[in-house]
Amino acid sequence: MTTSVTIPTGGELGATASAIPVARVRTRTRWSRRFRPRRVVLTVLAFAIAIAWVFPVYWMLNSSLLPNRTLQSFIPTFLPIGGSLDNYENVLDGGSFFSALGISLSVTLIAVFCCLLFAFLAAVAISRFRFKGRKAFVLAVLIVQMLPAEGLFIAQYKMVSSVGLLNSVIGVSIIYTAAVVPFTVWMLRGFVAGIPADLEEAAMVDGLSRTQAFMRITFPLLAPGLVASGVFAFLQAWNEFTVALVLLPAEQMHTLPLWLRGFIQASATRETDWGQVMAASTLVAVPVIVFFLIVQGRMTSGLVSGAVKG
Amino acid sequence: MKRKYAAAAIATAAALVLAGCSSTGEPADDGSADGQNITLWLMGGDTPDELRDYLKSEYADATGGKLTIEEQGWGDAVAKLTTALPDAANTPDVTEIGNTWSPTFTNAGAFTDLSDMYDELGGDKLLKSFVEVGEVDGAQYALPYYFGSRYNFYRKDIWDAAGKTVPTTLDEFGETVTSLRTDAQSGFYIGGSDWRNGISWIFANGGELAVKDGDKWVGALSSDESVKGLEQFQALFTGASNAPVTEFDSTPWVNINNNDATGKPEAATIIAPGWAHWSIGDLAPDPADSTKTIATWNDDVFGTFVLPGVDGGVAPVFAGGSNIAVSAASKNQAGAKELMKIIFSEEYQTMLGENGLGPANLDYASSLGDDQFAKALIESAAGSKLTPAAPGWAAVEGAGILEEFFGKVSGGGDVADLAAEYDEKLNELLN
Amino acid sequence: MTRILADDVATATPAPRASAPARRRLSVPHLLLIPAILILLVGMGYPLVWQIITSTQDFGIQQQFGKPADFVGLQNYITLATDPTMWQVVGRSLLFCFVTAALTLVVGLLLAMLMTAVGRTARLTLQISLLLAWAMPVVAAMTVWIWLFDRRRGVVNYLLDMIPGVDMNRFSWLSNPLTFFIVASIIVIWMSVPFVAFSVYAGLTQVSDEVLEAAQLDGANGAKRLRYIIMPMIRPVIMIVLLLQLIWDLRVFTQITMLQDAGSKASEFDLLGTYIYKLGAGAQDFGMASAVSIFVLALTLAISWFYVRSLLKEDEQS
Repeated sequence: MTTSVTIPTGGELGATASAIPVARVRTRTRWSRRFRPRRVVLTVLAFAIAIAWVFPVYWMLNSSLLPNRTLQSFIPTFLPIGGSLDNYENVLDGGSFFSALGISLSVTLIAVFCCLLFAFLAAVAISRFRFKGRKAFVLAVLIVQMLPAEGLFIAQYKMVSSVGLLNSVIGVSIIYTAAVVPFTVWMLRGFVAGIPADLEEAAMVDGLSRTQAFMRITFPLLAPGLVASGVFAFLQAWNEFTVALVLLPAEQMHTLPLWLRGFIQASATRETDWGQVMAASTLVAVPVIVFFLIVQGRMTSGLVSGAVKG
Repeated sequence: MKRKYAAAAIATAAALVLAGCSSTGEPADDGSADGQNITLWLMGGDTPDELRDYLKSEYADATGGKLTIEEQGWGDAVAKLTTALPDAANTPDVTEIGNTWSPTFTNAGAFTDLSDMYDELGGDKLLKSFVEVGEVDGAQYALPYYFGSRYNFYRKDIWDAAGKTVPTTLDEFGETVTSLRTDAQSGFYIGGSDWRNGISWIFANGGELAVKDGDKWVGALSSDESVKGLEQFQALFTGASNAPVTEFDSTPWVNINNNDATGKPEAATIIAPGWAHWSIGDLAPDPADSTKTIATWNDDVFGTFVLPGVDGGVAPVFAGGSNIAVSAASKNQAGAKELMKIIFSEEYQTMLGENGLGPANLDYASSLGDDQFAKALIESAAGSKLTPAAPGWAAVEGAGILEEFFGKVSGGGDVADLAAEYDEKLNELLN
Repeated sequence: MTRILADDVATATPAPRASAPARRRLSVPHLLLIPAILILLVGMGYPLVWQIITSTQDFGIQQQFGKPADFVGLQNYITLATDPTMWQVVGRSLLFCFVTAALTLVVGLLLAMLMTAVGRTARLTLQISLLLAWAMPVVAAMTVWIWLFDRRRGVVNYLLDMIPGVDMNRFSWLSNPLTFFIVASIIVIWMSVPFVAFSVYAGLTQVSDEVLEAAQLDGANGAKRLRYIIMPMIRPVIMIVLLLQLIWDLRVFTQITMLQDAGSKASEFDLLGTYIYKLGAGAQDFGMASAVSIFVLALTLAISWFYVRSLLKEDEQS
């Protein structure tokens, strides 16, 4: 990605993007395993940081299990003893959560799929070929994602509404895909560039066509890159709410962030029911955590297969 | 080949640009409401479900069409109204709108002229100040939906113990609540940026937020009357309230109820919209839902009174509430007007009152009941005032100018200087 | 090195099929770019053009309802350039962006190094905890954080208040611009560090143990190994992560706007993102909002120029 040519291993951006904890951890040499006081301190530190970092997540879970009556107390309750799932029952009452979940999943999956496909093709183009207009494209991609989104809603509304896609999954998916494609192109470009083209060449010498060589050799090596970019696109689309707010005005088309925000706002005229708000937040977070867990497995296997074939 | 792609790309882009620029099209209206399916936007959850169901079934009976009600959050409503109202394909046919935003959208041409059915919907009996903010050149566009004004809730136990009685003038009010303040208890709990309540002090002293000078609106915060009111508010906030200067839209009743850690309230007095009384009282677990707490009003502990005026009487408080209007871009004008007739019918107006929302048609104000809350609501509403009917008023609110201004006043800034500075800011946005 | 090799090879790859028509070499990459270009034109092209045009117009709510917009040339930009509020917001945003991005990077770097220095159990615990934080949807995370810092019932005040001699009871974090932005910064760092830490960690695992051992045998101490071996190797990762953090932290919106809902909407609490939103959605002055957006685009480009330049240089070299 940079001009630094001293790097012995490829895929610097690949490294950037494989931002998921991976199984591929080099075996440390024996001396570093030996007991040392410094190591004990560091281990304790690691656990302390882990606890501090996860605390807000824990607090959300803890509060979601406690009745609002307990939460209104000025003395926090640190353990959900005597807790119940009542908050979840109340939140799920009426079913608007599942409708929002459905919309969010559709929008996000369409956006992730299109984004990965389009960005992958573009990344191959700019990292495997020299052609006229290449630099212009790279620059355009770089610049376009720097435009702040907060002022765009009128233009986006006019555009989507004029083609009749307001309140539709497709309309929002198009905007999301466009918003995430630049970054994904950027990310995948490093991955593609990090895979030596001579691997393909060798395969072609062995009688495979260029496309076959690409699909059989390069593509599997790219899997972790695609997964990492996919995670990224997923998070962006899953979290977005300003565009969704304007492009999905109908209540039955609300995505999860809109649903959650509506939930918080609806309780704003009364005193916030923190127990329910936390239960609702947990419900919005769970699909992402599940997605992360699934993807992590895939990514590990992708890396392993990459290592075997590479 | 390359040129071909470029051409295709440009053509696509051009088509999109052109499509985006095309106008919203004329409403097609055949004049009959029969079978028209319409959409109503309601702001927030103020309209109870019972009333929504009533509207849906009445509308179906009247026209055979379906009424869809969509609830919009107050916080995001302006952005959504701005985009959807001009768009014939997606506009709500009828929409509730914050009363203070009415001038802006009305002046922009967002709504249908309802002058021809104004008398039929209630005419002179409709709440005057709300009608005025929805008027342009004598024609009515946005009509009142409901009103609710603010009055004081106080702890009788604390007031009695200190030997205080309900004040009759604004000065006396200020002195009393200031004397009740301790480090742990606000004599009068009010957020420093809470302009919707704070402007009562401007109004009470005869001041205005903005006045019409010829055909232009100009800020009037720096008039002598306004400055006097603001100084009074500043003294009140610094002397009687423990709230942060930045607090703007709070739930003050949590402070007047007993705090379970100390068994005492954090405020001796608050000002709040009438419906807050459902949240004020002795706290106990809700027998129906163990996760919740319910408050039971206790006349021995809690009381109400309206904010007194400078020379006695009633201070003009901010008239909260909503207007309702038909979107000019709607293709279902007849259906929309049919819904307006249902909303302004005696039955629906009475239902509003029974649910504690001040009915638009004052003939039905008695439906509010005759308990102390209804009395306080009607008494405070009688003198209540609205924000200026300037076209740019929604912009003033949207930009958070008044929160900022009141925050600075509460923070102890020089009132006259601040008022002059913020008058300038108002002038930029009002017209 | 591989990349440059790859590029060389790529340029050379058509060689085995030299018989193919020359134009084919041009069309393949262009074909591959079509979907991305189309979606960008559709999704971003029109809004970008609209924004540029609108930034030269007097475009308010009346225009939104069909009144023709007056062309005002650069008037919106001139108004901006002479508005002290705007420059305060720009200054505040830059400060917030640099401080937050730098802290995110440092913390992420340290955590990544910690991961390599501890055993499997500790590392996995740390990684899972970071992963959970990363997976938290922004709206949900903000809600929790706002509650943690709540004036009355927040755990932060409760815990701080327990320290003897510290009185944080009812301390209003979101009322004062300084503490407001400290809280905002903590939240943004909390959200962004997992990405940085994992990225750098992945980079660190690429650093060969053999090289490090050899260096140690040669007498290089920890600091030297870090400076002369590890840092140069993970520099590209750090560069790109830093750039992304700068871009994101400059236009941070959701976090600030939700904190403002809980704290104050006054202009002292604005960053560029919320300033644009207030001008557009709030004050309905879309001409000015567009002008600020274009300005932010230029500002972002200026900040990331170090990266763009190296990208261009790399292109020229190959």
